[in-house]
Amino acid sequence: MAGLDGRVVLVTGAGAGMGRSHAQILAARGADIVVQDIGEPSARETAEMVLSAGRRAHVAVCDVSDGEALTAAIEEAVVALGPIDVLVNNAGIHALTPFDEIEEAEFDRIFAVNVAGSFNAAKAVLPGMKARCRGAIVNVASTSGQIGTPNDTHYCASKGAILGLTKAWAKELAPWSIRVNAVSPGPIATEMTVRNRGWEGIRERAEKEIPLRRYGMPEDVSHAVAFLAGDGASFVTGQVITLAGGLAIVGI
Amino acid sequence: MAGLEGKTALVTGAGRGLGRQHALTLAERGAAVIVHDIAEVGAEETAGMVRKAGGEARVAVCDITDVAAIKEAFGALGTVDIVVNNAGTHEARLIEAISAAEFKHMMDVHVKGAFFTVQTLLPAMKERRGGKIINTASAWGQCGWHTDSHYCGAKAAILGLTKAWAKEFAPWGIRVNAVSPGVVMTEMTRLNRTDEEIRDLAEKHIPVGRLGLPEDISYAVAYLASAEADFITGQVLPVNGGEFIVGI
Repeated sequence: MAGLDGRVVLVTGAGAGMGRSHAQILAARGADIVVQDIGEPSARETAEMVLSAGRRAHVAVCDVSDGEALTAAIEEAVVALGPIDVLVNNAGIHALTPFDEIEEAEFDRIFAVNVAGSFNAAKAVLPGMKARCRGAIVNVASTSGQIGTPNDTHYCASKGAILGLTKAWAKELAPWSIRVNAVSPGPIATEMTVRNRGWEGIRERAEKEIPLRRYGMPEDVSHAVAFLAGDGASFVTGQVITLAGGLAIVGI
Repeated sequence: MAGLEGKTALVTGAGRGLGRQHALTLAERGAAVIVHDIAEVGAEETAGMVRKAGGEARVAVCDITDVAAIKEAFGALGTVDIVVNNAGTHEARLIEAISAAEFKHMMDVHVKGAFFTVQTLLPAMKERRGGKIINTASAWGQCGWHTDSHYCGAKAAILGLTKAWAKEFAPWGIRVNAVSPGVVMTEMTRLNRTDEEIRDLAEKHIPVGRLGLPEDISYAVAYLASAEADFITGQVLPVNGGEFIVGI
Protein backbone atom coordinates (compact mmCIF):
# COMPACT_ATOMS: atom_id res chain seq x y z
CA MET A 1 0.00 0.00 0.00
CA ALA A 2 1.15 3.47 -0.83
CA GLY A 3 2.18 5.24 2.35
CA LEU A 4 3.35 8.78 2.79
CA ASP A 5 6.81 7.96 4.14
CA GLY A 6 8.95 11.06 4.45
CA ARG A 7 6.52 13.29 2.56
CA VAL A 8 6.20 16.82 3.89
CA VAL A 9 2.56 17.78 4.30
CA LEU A 10 1.23 21.24 5.07
CA VAL A 11 -2.14 21.12 6.83
CA THR A 12 -3.79 24.51 7.29
CA GLY A 13 -6.08 25.00 10.27
CA ALA A 14 -4.47 22.00 11.93
CA GLY A 15 -4.86 23.24 15.50
CA ALA A 16 -8.24 21.63 16.05
CA GLY A 17 -11.01 19.45 14.68
CA MET A 18 -10.58 17.88 11.28
CA GLY A 19 -7.26 19.60 10.59
CA ARG A 20 -5.76 18.06 13.71
CA SER A 21 -7.11 14.68 12.69
CA HIS A 22 -5.55 15.04 9.21
CA ALA A 23 -2.20 15.87 10.81
CA GLN A 24 -2.40 12.81 13.07
CA ILE A 25 -3.53 10.33 10.41
CA LEU A 26 -1.02 11.55 7.81
CA ALA A 27 1.77 11.40 10.40
CA ALA A 28 0.70 7.86 11.26
CA ARG A 29 1.29 7.04 7.58
CA GLY A 30 4.80 8.40 7.72
CA ALA A 31 4.42 12.07 6.77
CA ASP A 32 6.18 15.03 8.41
CA ILE A 33 3.69 17.80 9.12
CA VAL A 34 3.71 21.56 8.87
CA VAL A 35 1.02 22.45 11.39
CA GLN A 36 -0.46 25.78 10.33
CA ASP A 37 -3.02 27.52 12.50
CA ILE A 38 -4.01 31.01 13.56
CA GLY A 39 -3.74 30.01 17.22
CA GLU A 40 -0.30 29.09 18.55
CA PRO A 41 -1.18 26.98 21.61
CA SER A 42 -3.46 24.67 19.64
CA ALA A 43 -0.95 24.39 16.79
CA ARG A 44 1.75 23.41 19.31
CA GLU A 45 -0.55 20.76 20.78
CA THR A 46 -1.08 19.19 17.34
CA ALA A 47 2.66 19.36 16.68
CA GLU A 48 3.27 17.46 19.93
CA MET A 49 0.92 14.73 18.69
CA VAL A 50 2.85 14.47 15.42
CA LEU A 51 6.15 14.29 17.31
CA SER A 52 4.86 11.57 19.58
CA ALA A 53 3.88 9.59 16.47
CA GLY A 54 7.60 9.66 15.64
CA ARG A 55 7.40 12.19 12.80
CA ARG A 56 8.82 15.68 12.42
CA ALA A 57 6.59 18.70 12.93
CA HIS A 58 6.92 22.42 12.33
CA VAL A 59 4.50 25.00 13.67
CA ALA A 60 3.43 27.86 11.39
CA VAL A 61 1.30 30.45 13.11
CA CYS A 62 -0.47 32.98 10.89
CA ASP A 63 -3.79 33.95 9.36
CA VAL A 64 -4.27 32.16 5.99
CA SER A 65 -6.12 35.20 4.67
CA ASP A 66 -2.87 37.18 4.97
CA GLY A 67 -1.01 36.02 1.88
CA GLU A 68 2.32 37.64 2.76
CA ALA A 69 2.39 36.25 6.29
CA LEU A 70 1.40 32.80 5.04
CA THR A 71 4.05 32.80 2.33
CA ALA A 72 6.72 33.81 4.84
CA ALA A 73 5.57 31.12 7.28
CA ILE A 74 5.68 28.48 4.55
CA GLU A 75 9.16 29.56 3.49
CA GLU A 76 10.32 29.03 7.09
CA ALA A 77 8.61 25.65 7.17
CA VAL A 78 10.42 24.57 4.00
CA VAL A 79 13.75 25.49 5.59
CA ALA A 80 12.82 23.41 8.64
CA LEU A 81 11.28 20.30 7.02
CA GLY A 82 12.04 20.49 3.31
CA PRO A 83 9.87 21.24 0.28
CA ILE A 84 6.13 20.72 0.63
CA ASP A 85 4.90 17.57 -1.15
CA VAL A 86 1.28 17.80 -0.13
CA LEU A 87 -0.95 20.74 0.75
CA VAL A 88 -4.18 20.11 2.66
CA ASN A 89 -6.28 23.28 2.44
CA ASN A 90 -8.33 22.69 5.56
CA ALA A 91 -8.48 26.09 7.29
CA GLY A 92 -12.02 27.37 7.22
CA ILE A 93 -14.61 29.29 9.18
CA HIS A 94 -18.37 29.07 9.35
CA ALA A 95 -21.13 31.34 10.57
CA LEU A 96 -24.84 30.69 10.95
CA THR A 97 -26.62 33.86 9.81
CA PRO A 98 -29.86 34.27 7.86
CA PHE A 99 -29.23 35.60 4.36
CA ASP A 100 -30.76 39.05 4.90
CA GLU A 101 -28.68 39.60 8.02
CA ILE A 102 -25.27 38.85 6.52
CA GLU A 103 -23.22 42.05 6.58
CA GLU A 104 -20.58 42.71 3.96
CA ALA A 105 -17.78 42.31 6.51
CA GLU A 106 -18.98 38.83 7.49
CA PHE A 107 -19.28 37.83 3.83
CA ASP A 108 -15.78 39.12 3.15
CA ARG A 109 -14.28 37.33 6.14
CA ILE A 110 -15.77 33.93 5.13
CA PHE A 111 -14.37 34.32 1.61
CA ALA A 112 -11.04 35.67 2.86
CA VAL A 113 -10.40 32.59 4.99
CA ASN A 114 -12.12 29.80 3.04
CA VAL A 115 -11.37 30.84 -0.54
CA ALA A 116 -8.49 33.34 -0.48
CA GLY A 117 -6.84 31.30 2.28
CA SER A 118 -6.77 28.20 0.04
CA PHE A 119 -5.63 30.33 -2.88
CA ASN A 120 -2.81 31.89 -0.83
CA ALA A 121 -1.58 28.54 0.42
CA ALA A 122 -1.62 26.97 -3.04
CA LYS A 123 0.20 29.93 -4.51
CA ALA A 124 2.86 29.76 -1.82
CA VAL A 125 3.62 26.04 -2.29
CA LEU A 126 3.32 26.11 -6.07
CA PRO A 127 6.82 27.28 -7.08
CA GLY A 128 8.37 24.41 -5.11
CA MET A 129 5.95 21.87 -6.53
CA LYS A 130 6.40 23.11 -10.10
CA ALA A 131 10.19 23.11 -9.77
CA ARG A 132 10.16 19.46 -8.71
CA CYS A 133 7.26 18.45 -11.00
CA ARG A 134 5.40 16.74 -8.20
CA GLY A 135 2.80 17.51 -5.62
CA ALA A 136 -0.72 16.90 -4.43
CA ILE A 137 -3.23 19.43 -3.22
CA VAL A 138 -6.30 18.33 -1.30
CA ASN A 139 -8.91 21.04 -0.82
CA VAL A 140 -11.67 20.79 1.72
CA ALA A 141 -15.07 21.50 0.22
CA SER A 142 -18.34 20.71 1.99
CA THR A 143 -21.66 19.12 1.10
CA SER A 144 -23.07 22.58 1.90
CA GLY A 145 -21.37 23.76 -1.28
CA GLN A 146 -22.87 20.86 -3.23
CA ILE A 147 -26.47 20.80 -2.01
CA GLY A 148 -26.87 24.07 -0.11
CA THR A 149 -28.01 24.59 3.47
CA PRO A 150 -30.11 27.35 4.99
CA ASN A 151 -28.64 30.24 7.01
CA ASP A 152 -25.10 30.03 5.76
CA THR A 153 -25.26 31.15 2.13
CA HIS A 154 -21.85 32.78 2.30
CA TYR A 155 -20.31 29.56 3.59
CA CYS A 156 -22.10 27.46 0.92
CA ALA A 157 -20.86 29.83 -1.78
CA SER A 158 -17.30 29.73 -0.44
CA LYS A 159 -17.31 25.93 -0.50
CA GLY A 160 -18.80 25.96 -4.00
CA ALA A 161 -15.87 28.17 -4.98
CA ILE A 162 -13.49 25.53 -3.61
CA LEU A 163 -14.94 23.05 -6.10
CA GLY A 164 -14.28 25.49 -8.93
CA LEU A 165 -10.69 26.07 -7.81
CA THR A 166 -10.15 22.33 -7.48
CA LYS A 167 -11.27 21.57 -11.03
CA ALA A 168 -9.44 24.48 -12.63
CA TRP A 169 -6.17 23.86 -10.77
CA ALA A 170 -6.34 20.16 -11.67
CA LYS A 171 -6.27 21.10 -15.35
CA GLU A 172 -3.82 23.95 -15.07
CA LEU A 173 -1.28 22.16 -12.88
CA ALA A 174 -1.41 18.68 -14.42
CA PRO A 175 1.51 19.37 -16.79
CA TRP A 176 3.72 19.63 -13.69
CA SER A 177 2.31 16.36 -12.30
CA ILE A 178 0.56 18.24 -9.55
CA ARG A 179 -2.75 16.60 -8.69
CA VAL A 180 -5.62 18.56 -7.17
CA ASN A 181 -8.68 16.98 -5.59
CA ALA A 182 -11.20 17.77 -2.89
CA VAL A 183 -12.87 16.00 -0.01
CA SER A 184 -16.40 17.10 0.76
CA PRO A 185 -17.45 16.35 4.31
CA GLY A 186 -21.09 16.23 5.31
CA PRO A 187 -22.17 15.84 8.93
CA ILE A 188 -19.01 15.21 10.95
CA ALA A 189 -18.86 14.92 14.74
CA THR A 190 -16.00 17.34 15.41
CA GLU A 191 -15.45 18.72 18.90
CA MET A 192 -17.36 21.81 17.81
CA THR A 193 -20.37 19.80 16.62
CA VAL A 194 -20.39 17.85 19.86
CA ARG A 195 -20.25 21.09 21.83
CA ASN A 196 -23.05 22.70 19.81
CA ARG A 197 -25.48 19.80 19.48
CA GLY A 198 -24.48 17.37 22.20
CA TRP A 199 -24.27 13.64 21.50
CA GLU A 200 -28.02 13.30 22.02
CA GLY A 201 -28.72 15.89 19.32
CA ILE A 202 -26.22 14.20 17.02
CA ARG A 203 -27.85 10.81 17.48
CA GLU A 204 -31.28 12.29 16.84
CA ARG A 205 -30.28 13.98 13.58
CA ALA A 206 -28.38 10.90 12.43
CA GLU A 207 -31.43 8.69 12.96
CA LYS A 208 -33.70 11.08 11.10
CA GLU A 209 -31.57 12.39 8.25
CA ILE A 210 -28.46 10.35 7.51
CA PRO A 211 -28.99 7.13 5.55
CA LEU A 212 -26.12 5.36 7.37
CA ARG A 213 -27.61 6.64 10.65
CA ARG A 214 -24.44 8.04 12.09
CA TYR A 215 -22.30 11.14 11.89
CA GLY A 216 -18.91 10.85 10.30
CA MET A 217 -15.85 11.09 12.51
CA PRO A 218 -12.94 13.38 11.61
CA GLU A 219 -10.91 10.22 10.81
CA ASP A 220 -13.35 9.31 8.02
CA VAL A 221 -12.38 12.52 6.26
CA SER A 222 -8.68 12.13 7.07
CA HIS A 223 -8.57 8.68 5.43
CA ALA A 224 -9.99 10.19 2.23
CA VAL A 225 -7.39 12.98 2.41
CA ALA A 226 -4.68 10.34 2.86
CA PHE A 227 -5.96 8.35 -0.12
CA LEU A 228 -5.96 11.43 -2.38
CA ALA A 229 -2.54 12.56 -1.11
CA GLY A 230 -0.89 9.20 -1.75
CA ASP A 231 0.52 7.56 -4.88
CA GLY A 232 -2.42 5.15 -4.97
CA ALA A 233 -4.43 8.08 -6.33
CA SER A 234 -1.84 9.11 -8.92
CA PHE A 235 -4.41 8.91 -11.76
CA VAL A 236 -7.04 10.83 -9.78
CA THR A 237 -7.23 14.58 -10.35
CA GLY A 238 -10.00 17.19 -10.43
CA GLN A 239 -12.32 14.95 -8.42
CA VAL A 240 -14.34 15.21 -5.24
CA ILE A 241 -14.82 12.52 -2.59
CA THR A 242 -18.00 13.16 -0.61
CA LEU A 243 -18.15 11.83 2.96
CA ALA A 244 -21.72 12.17 4.07
CA GLY A 245 -23.11 8.77 5.01
CA GLY A 246 -25.38 8.89 1.97
CA LEU A 247 -26.83 12.32 2.81
CA ALA A 248 -25.58 14.05 -0.32
CA ILE A 249 -25.87 11.81 -3.36
CA VAL A 250 -25.63 14.22 -6.24
CA GLY A 251 -23.78 15.14 -9.42
CA ILE A 252 -22.35 12.30 -11.38
CA MET B 1 -3.97 1.85 6.17
CA ALA B 2 -6.77 -0.54 6.94
CA GLY B 3 -6.31 -3.86 5.23
CA LEU B 4 -8.95 -6.32 4.12
CA GLU B 5 -7.88 -9.22 6.32
CA GLY B 6 -10.67 -11.64 7.11
CA LYS B 7 -12.88 -10.32 4.30
CA THR B 8 -14.11 -12.25 1.30
CA ALA B 9 -14.42 -10.38 -1.99
CA LEU B 10 -16.22 -11.46 -5.15
CA VAL B 11 -14.89 -9.84 -8.32
CA THR B 12 -16.96 -10.44 -11.44
CA GLY B 13 -15.25 -10.59 -14.82
CA ALA B 14 -11.92 -11.21 -13.12
CA GLY B 15 -10.48 -13.53 -15.77
CA ARG B 16 -8.51 -10.68 -17.32
CA GLY B 17 -7.97 -6.94 -17.47
CA LEU B 18 -9.22 -4.69 -14.69
CA GLY B 19 -11.04 -7.50 -12.89
CA ARG B 20 -7.88 -9.58 -12.70
CA GLN B 21 -5.96 -6.64 -11.22
CA HIS B 22 -8.76 -5.99 -8.69
CA ALA B 23 -8.52 -9.62 -7.54
CA LEU B 24 -4.74 -9.36 -7.17
CA THR B 25 -4.84 -6.02 -5.32
CA LEU B 26 -7.65 -7.03 -2.94
CA ALA B 27 -5.82 -10.29 -2.18
CA GLU B 28 -2.59 -8.40 -1.59
CA ARG B 29 -4.45 -6.39 1.06
CA GLY B 30 -5.58 -9.53 2.80
CA ALA B 31 -8.97 -10.44 1.29
CA ALA B 32 -9.85 -13.96 0.18
CA VAL B 33 -11.08 -13.55 -3.38
CA ILE B 34 -13.69 -15.30 -5.44
CA VAL B 35 -12.70 -14.97 -9.06
CA HIS B 36 -15.71 -14.92 -11.35
CA ASP B 37 -15.62 -15.07 -15.11
CA ILE B 38 -17.64 -16.51 -17.96
CA ALA B 39 -14.49 -18.30 -19.12
CA GLU B 40 -13.10 -20.87 -16.72
CA VAL B 41 -9.58 -20.73 -18.18
CA GLY B 42 -9.15 -17.02 -17.43
CA ALA B 43 -10.69 -17.35 -13.98
CA GLU B 44 -8.39 -20.24 -13.08
CA GLU B 45 -5.41 -18.30 -14.36
CA THR B 46 -6.26 -15.30 -12.16
CA ALA B 47 -6.87 -17.56 -9.14
CA GLY B 48 -3.47 -19.15 -9.79
CA MET B 49 -1.82 -15.73 -9.87
CA VAL B 50 -3.48 -14.80 -6.56
CA ARG B 51 -2.33 -18.03 -4.90
CA LYS B 52 1.17 -17.65 -6.30
CA ALA B 53 1.34 -14.23 -4.63
CA GLY B 54 0.40 -15.87 -1.33
CA GLY B 55 -3.32 -15.09 -1.42
CA GLU B 56 -6.45 -17.17 -1.13
CA ALA B 57 -8.68 -17.66 -4.19
CA ARG B 58 -11.54 -19.74 -5.49
CA VAL B 59 -13.32 -19.68 -8.80
CA ALA B 60 -16.98 -19.17 -9.73
CA VAL B 61 -17.91 -19.55 -13.38
CA CYS B 62 -21.18 -18.38 -14.90
CA ASP B 63 -22.66 -16.28 -17.67
CA ILE B 64 -23.52 -12.98 -15.99
CA THR B 65 -26.48 -12.45 -18.36
CA ASP B 66 -28.14 -15.68 -17.22
CA VAL B 67 -30.04 -14.96 -14.02
CA ALA B 68 -30.59 -18.64 -13.14
CA ALA B 69 -26.87 -19.28 -13.60
CA ILE B 70 -25.98 -16.28 -11.37
CA LYS B 71 -28.29 -17.56 -8.63
CA GLU B 72 -26.75 -21.02 -8.88
CA ALA B 73 -23.12 -19.89 -8.95
CA PHE B 74 -23.31 -17.04 -6.40
CA GLY B 75 -26.09 -18.42 -4.19
CA ALA B 76 -23.77 -21.05 -2.75
CA LEU B 77 -20.75 -18.83 -2.04
CA GLY B 78 -21.35 -18.39 1.68
CA THR B 79 -20.19 -15.14 3.26
CA VAL B 80 -19.25 -12.41 0.80
CA ASP B 81 -18.24 -9.08 2.38
CA ILE B 82 -17.21 -7.19 -0.74
CA VAL B 83 -18.79 -7.37 -4.18
CA VAL B 84 -16.97 -5.76 -7.08
CA ASN B 85 -19.28 -5.63 -10.08
CA ASN B 86 -16.68 -5.42 -12.80
CA ALA B 87 -17.88 -7.75 -15.60
CA GLY B 88 -18.41 -5.75 -18.76
CA THR B 89 -18.07 -5.67 -22.49
CA HIS B 90 -17.53 -2.96 -25.04
CA GLU B 91 -17.79 -2.45 -28.76
CA ALA B 92 -17.37 0.71 -30.77
CA ARG B 93 -20.56 1.18 -32.79
CA LEU B 94 -22.62 3.94 -34.32
CA ILE B 95 -26.28 3.79 -33.41
CA GLU B 96 -27.32 2.55 -36.86
CA ALA B 97 -25.03 -0.43 -36.48
CA ILE B 98 -26.33 -1.56 -33.09
CA SER B 99 -28.81 -4.40 -33.43
CA ALA B 100 -31.53 -5.03 -30.89
CA ALA B 101 -29.71 -8.16 -29.78
CA GLU B 102 -26.44 -6.26 -29.29
CA PHE B 103 -28.23 -3.55 -27.37
CA LYS B 104 -29.84 -6.10 -25.08
CA HIS B 105 -26.56 -7.94 -24.56
CA MET B 106 -24.79 -4.71 -23.59
CA MET B 107 -27.48 -3.89 -21.01
CA ASP B 108 -27.62 -7.46 -19.75
CA VAL B 109 -23.89 -7.84 -19.11
CA HIS B 110 -23.51 -4.53 -17.28
CA VAL B 111 -26.85 -3.77 -15.69
CA LYS B 112 -28.75 -7.01 -15.35
CA GLY B 113 -25.57 -8.83 -14.36
CA ALA B 114 -24.78 -6.40 -11.54
CA PHE B 115 -28.43 -6.23 -10.52
CA PHE B 116 -28.95 -9.95 -10.06
CA THR B 117 -25.48 -10.53 -8.61
CA VAL B 118 -26.40 -8.10 -5.84
CA GLN B 119 -29.91 -9.49 -5.47
CA THR B 120 -28.41 -12.94 -4.94
CA LEU B 121 -25.86 -11.85 -2.33
CA LEU B 122 -27.97 -9.27 -0.51
CA PRO B 123 -29.93 -11.49 1.92
CA ALA B 124 -26.72 -12.71 3.58
CA MET B 125 -25.33 -9.16 3.69
CA LYS B 126 -28.52 -7.88 5.29
CA GLU B 127 -28.41 -10.67 7.83
CA ARG B 128 -24.85 -9.76 8.82
CA ARG B 129 -25.75 -6.06 8.67
CA GLY B 130 -22.81 -4.99 6.57
CA GLY B 131 -21.02 -5.24 3.30
CA LYS B 132 -19.48 -3.22 0.51
CA ILE B 133 -20.67 -3.09 -3.06
CA ILE B 134 -18.43 -1.42 -5.63
CA ASN B 135 -19.83 -0.96 -9.10
CA THR B 136 -17.83 -0.11 -12.18
CA ALA B 137 -19.13 2.92 -14.01
CA SER B 138 -17.19 4.71 -16.73
CA ALA B 139 -16.28 8.22 -17.83
CA TRP B 140 -18.29 7.40 -20.96
CA GLY B 141 -21.41 6.93 -18.83
CA GLN B 142 -20.78 10.30 -17.17
CA CYS B 143 -19.89 12.31 -20.25
CA GLY B 144 -21.07 10.37 -23.28
CA TRP B 145 -19.06 9.66 -26.41
CA HIS B 146 -19.70 10.06 -30.12
CA THR B 147 -20.03 6.32 -30.59
CA ASP B 148 -21.01 3.36 -28.34
CA SER B 149 -24.26 4.85 -27.06
CA HIS B 150 -25.38 1.44 -25.82
CA TYR B 151 -22.24 1.22 -23.67
CA CYS B 152 -22.67 4.81 -22.40
CA GLY B 153 -26.29 4.07 -21.54
CA ALA B 154 -25.40 0.88 -19.67
CA LYS B 155 -22.69 2.64 -17.66
CA ALA B 156 -25.02 5.53 -16.78
CA ALA B 157 -27.52 2.94 -15.56
CA ILE B 158 -24.81 1.68 -13.19
CA LEU B 159 -24.68 5.17 -11.65
CA GLY B 160 -28.44 5.01 -11.08
CA LEU B 161 -28.19 1.61 -9.42
CA THR B 162 -25.32 2.79 -7.23
CA LYS B 163 -27.21 5.80 -5.89
CA ALA B 164 -30.51 3.97 -5.37
CA TRP B 165 -28.88 0.97 -3.68
CA ALA B 166 -26.88 3.26 -1.38
CA LYS B 167 -30.14 4.68 -0.05
CA GLU B 168 -32.05 1.39 0.03
CA PHE B 169 -29.32 -0.64 1.76
CA ALA B 170 -28.02 2.03 4.19
CA PRO B 171 -30.30 0.87 7.07
CA TRP B 172 -28.38 -2.42 7.02
CA GLY B 173 -25.01 -0.68 6.99
CA ILE B 174 -24.30 -1.83 3.44
CA ARG B 175 -22.27 0.75 1.50
CA VAL B 176 -22.60 1.11 -2.26
CA ASN B 177 -20.23 3.18 -4.38
CA ALA B 178 -18.80 3.21 -7.89
CA VAL B 179 -15.44 3.72 -9.48
CA SER B 180 -15.48 5.42 -12.85
CA PRO B 181 -12.40 4.68 -14.95
CA GLY B 182 -11.26 6.83 -17.84
CA VAL B 183 -8.88 5.49 -20.47
CA VAL B 184 -7.03 2.55 -18.97
CA MET B 185 -4.18 0.61 -20.54
CA THR B 186 -5.51 -2.94 -20.71
CA GLU B 187 -4.70 -5.72 -23.15
CA MET B 188 -7.72 -4.56 -25.14
CA THR B 189 -6.38 -0.98 -25.39
CA ARG B 190 -3.07 -2.32 -26.68
CA LEU B 191 -4.86 -4.42 -29.30
CA ASN B 192 -7.10 -1.61 -30.49
CA ARG B 193 -4.63 1.26 -30.74
CA THR B 194 -1.14 1.78 -32.08
CA ASP B 195 1.64 2.98 -29.75
CA GLU B 196 1.54 6.30 -31.53
CA GLU B 197 -2.20 6.67 -31.00
CA ILE B 198 -1.75 5.91 -27.32
CA ARG B 199 1.05 8.47 -26.97
CA ASP B 200 -1.00 11.04 -28.82
CA LEU B 201 -4.03 10.43 -26.62
CA ALA B 202 -1.98 10.77 -23.44
CA GLU B 203 -0.25 13.94 -24.54
CA LYS B 204 -3.20 15.74 -26.08
CA HIS B 205 -6.18 14.66 -24.04
CA ILE B 206 -5.20 13.40 -20.61
CA PRO B 207 -4.03 16.22 -18.32
CA VAL B 208 -1.68 14.02 -16.27
CA GLY B 209 -0.04 12.92 -19.53
CA ARG B 210 -0.49 9.17 -19.31
CA LEU B 211 -3.14 6.49 -19.60
CA GLY B 212 -4.44 4.85 -16.47
CA LEU B 213 -3.05 1.51 -15.37
CA PRO B 214 -5.33 -1.22 -14.05
CA GLU B 215 -3.74 -0.71 -10.60
CA ASP B 216 -4.96 2.90 -10.52
CA ILE B 217 -8.53 1.64 -10.60
CA SER B 218 -7.82 -1.23 -8.21
CA TYR B 219 -6.43 1.14 -5.55
CA ALA B 220 -9.67 3.13 -5.68
CA VAL B 221 -11.68 -0.11 -5.40
CA ALA B 222 -9.55 -1.22 -2.44
CA TYR B 223 -10.02 2.12 -0.69
CA LEU B 224 -13.81 2.02 -1.11
CA ALA B 225 -13.82 -1.62 0.05
CA SER B 226 -11.93 -0.83 3.27
CA ALA B 227 -13.24 0.32 6.64
CA GLU B 228 -11.54 3.66 5.97
CA ALA B 229 -14.35 4.48 3.53
CA ASP B 230 -17.15 3.52 5.92
CA PHE B 231 -18.77 6.98 5.82
CA ILE B 232 -18.88 7.00 2.01
CA THR B 233 -21.97 5.71 0.25
CA GLY B 234 -23.76 6.55 -2.98
CA GLN B 235 -20.64 8.17 -4.40
CA VAL B 236 -18.66 7.90 -7.61
CA LEU B 237 -14.87 7.98 -7.58
CA PRO B 238 -13.65 8.96 -11.06
CA VAL B 239 -10.13 7.79 -11.90
CA ASN B 240 -9.27 9.35 -15.23
CA GLY B 241 -6.15 11.49 -15.02
CA GLY B 242 -8.21 14.68 -15.14
CA GLU B 243 -9.63 13.96 -18.62
CA PHE B 244 -13.20 14.07 -17.34
CA ILE B 245 -13.95 16.59 -14.60
CA VAL B 246 -17.70 16.87 -14.18
CA GLY B 247 -20.61 16.79 -11.75
CA ILE B 248 -19.94 18.03 -8.29
